[in-house]
Amino acid sequence: MGMRIRFWLALWSGKLISIALRILGKKGTTFPGLVANKVCPDFIKHLAASFQGEIVLITGTNGKTTTNNMLASILKTANKTVAFNREGANMLPGIAGTLLQNSSFWGRIKKSYLLLEVDEATVPRLCRQLTPGLAVITNFFPDQLDRFGELDTTIRLVQEALPSSTKLILNADDPLVAQIGLNQTQVFYYGAASLPVSGPKDLESREGRYCFLCDQELFYEIFHYGQLGIYHCEQCGFERPQPHIEAWDVQQKQNGISFRLAISPEHREGNSYGGQTIAQETGEFIIPLQGYYNLYNALAAVSAAECLGLSWEDSRQGLLKFVSDAGRMEQFALPSCQLTLTLVKNPMGFNQVVSTLIELDRPLHLLLAINDLAADGRDISWLWDVDFERFVSGEPKIKTVICSGLRAEDMALRLKYAGWSEDVISINKNLKEAVAELEAKQILPDEAVFVLSSYTALFPLREILNSKKVSSNPIISHTEVEGL
Amino acid sequence: MKLTLYHLYPDLLGLYGDRGNVLTLKARCRWRDIDLRIHPVSLGENIDFTQADIVFMGGGSDREQNILVQDLSSRAQELKQAVEDGLVLLAICGGYQLLGKYYQTADGHKVPGLEIIDCYTVAGPKRMIGNVIAKVGNPTHGETDLNTLVGFENHSGKTYLGPELSPLAEIVRGYGNNGEDGSEGVRYKNVWGTYLHGPLLPKNPHLADNILRAALKRRGYNSDLPVLDDSLEIKAHKAIINRFS
Repeated sequence: MGMRIRFWLALWSGKLISIALRILGKKGTTFPGLVANKVCPDFIKHLAASFQGEIVLITGTNGKTTTNNMLASILKTANKTVAFNREGANMLPGIAGTLLQNSSFWGRIKKSYLLLEVDEATVPRLCRQLTPGLAVITNFFPDQLDRFGELDTTIRLVQEALPSSTKLILNADDPLVAQIGLNQTQVFYYGAASLPVSGPKDLESREGRYCFLCDQELFYEIFHYGQLGIYHCEQCGFERPQPHIEAWDVQQKQNGISFRLAISPEHREGNSYGGQTIAQETGEFIIPLQGYYNLYNALAAVSAAECLGLSWEDSRQGLLKFVSDAGRMEQFALPSCQLTLTLVKNPMGFNQVVSTLIELDRPLHLLLAINDLAADGRDISWLWDVDFERFVSGEPKIKTVICSGLRAEDMALRLKYAGWSEDVISINKNLKEAVAELEAKQILPDEAVFVLSSYTALFPLREILNSKKVSSNPIISHTEVEGL
Repeated sequence: MKLTLYHLYPDLLGLYGDRGNVLTLKARCRWRDIDLRIHPVSLGENIDFTQADIVFMGGGSDREQNILVQDLSSRAQELKQAVEDGLVLLAICGGYQLLGKYYQTADGHKVPGLEIIDCYTVAGPKRMIGNVIAKVGNPTHGETDLNTLVGFENHSGKTYLGPELSPLAEIVRGYGNNGEDGSEGVRYKNVWGTYLHGPLLPKNPHLADNILRAALKRRGYNSDLPVLDDSLEIKAHKAIINRFS
């Protein structure tokens, strides 16, 4: 009985704090959630227990936010009601806060779908409180090792925490993710047959190319990027599982990526699709985002939508309508130029941005802002695992590089040793001044301007850039949680 | 002038941007018209340490270190002999621990090391993570006025040096070898061992040049290195000193 009372106390105090914050003109899901969790440690458990809808958990190193928001876009296209947490609210207080915002004073969650992006280290604690129907695992790359210790530990943590009744949606192309599906009955795999950048040899990461099961070096028929590809282990026989949906005919377009999906007949037969003819092919999908990592995010979202029983057409429309998230290849029209802001937080993500810039093949003006606060990872050693050397071999031409943030000098030094000309590199640790310096450059119409930022510099930079935008077209980011 | 660097198991020991050290040695040689050949050594490869001028070993995760310790132990004797003959060896974090007599795990089990250096490591209860500043006692710092090393550490093993050995540096900020005696790393003949992982050499150009000098001298080359413009390196070094000391 005591717990019941604590739960109501937690719910109402959390809701009242939310209302008070709103009256004060402040946003915030984390603080009310923090209070609710303090008052009632099982707060999430109580609230989730009465929830009748579907819970989808999304975790992995990269792509959580984009996958979550793509899935939300698909569900909304299908006229479903969706609650989902914002980026940065992916630990217990943020998740409790998201539930609070979406529930009534009587403790009922008012939406039919609850999508939760969850920090890898939080998965075990969350799964003690609720059982997701679906769990999506995007990928495992080295990230913030000073927080997680080692990648192996992270993988085991996630693997052991997921309940056996949860259906897993796994990236077949990442051996570290795919092995989680071994000996599991409810697994849905997604993958890509080939990307324009795929080849027999990769240029990037070293981690994860050894078999997770027997430590033998994996044999790759094709590398997509990093440890992603088509692989098998010659020692223990572990191999890339046949994906239930597989992207093919992947093409980079002017403002995004197009692809087609092949559907494994096995998957279709195993499902009740009435007397329908088995569709082997779904037609063209388009995502309005650059970067092949976003293809994987789209595949993860489409897989989840498929498992939730939505149609391919809903997925196609949902992806087409998707608006990029804050700081994910986000566009800003400034008086002097059009620029793109994007987050870089680990070697793999940064290498993907490097690939995107190279494929763009236009002269570049860059602002690189690197901080080393807790949310960025205190250790910036990872900058040395990014292949800046790839620019030196020729095109595209680098016209400007302004290094900013707390670790501006480290960034500049990295570029010097990658062979970039010191003449184009400048250091300005102040973000505002760095943006002003970038704007003052002469930028020709065929040249591209990119601002790449680590996590804690991203939001200050967005604010600076928003204040300089030419048209004041108020686009409300759909990453905001709706309603209170 | 030609030098050869053996980069041991870059596939396995590349966890924290360790390759920054190799890139730095390579670039600082290139800028001085020294031809530094990088030879990545893979598992099972037959290597002849007498052909190497510099050997570099980075850090890896526990599982990866276990894979390679088996591979390397068969050559421990050759590597030890080469070190006694003045081979230049830079070993970082996990690579540094491997040079010692053993690594004692939390349950008391002793995993044998390569026994090249008189030191041992004991698993500690907490990870020692953070920025490090350490004073170097070595008087030859090339042309710069730096007398510190700066870097980042992330380890739970506590390393203790034998009585004959001297540390590489004295901790000003951070934990170093064991968080107890203020020592950081080890210097023995032409061996440098340290917990400052990842890109140690870019921000410590004086250390990079000391390593190159040792390698040149051993080959009988003139070891007076032409001075480079290290203003960016020194700026990055001093940014750490100003912020964390």
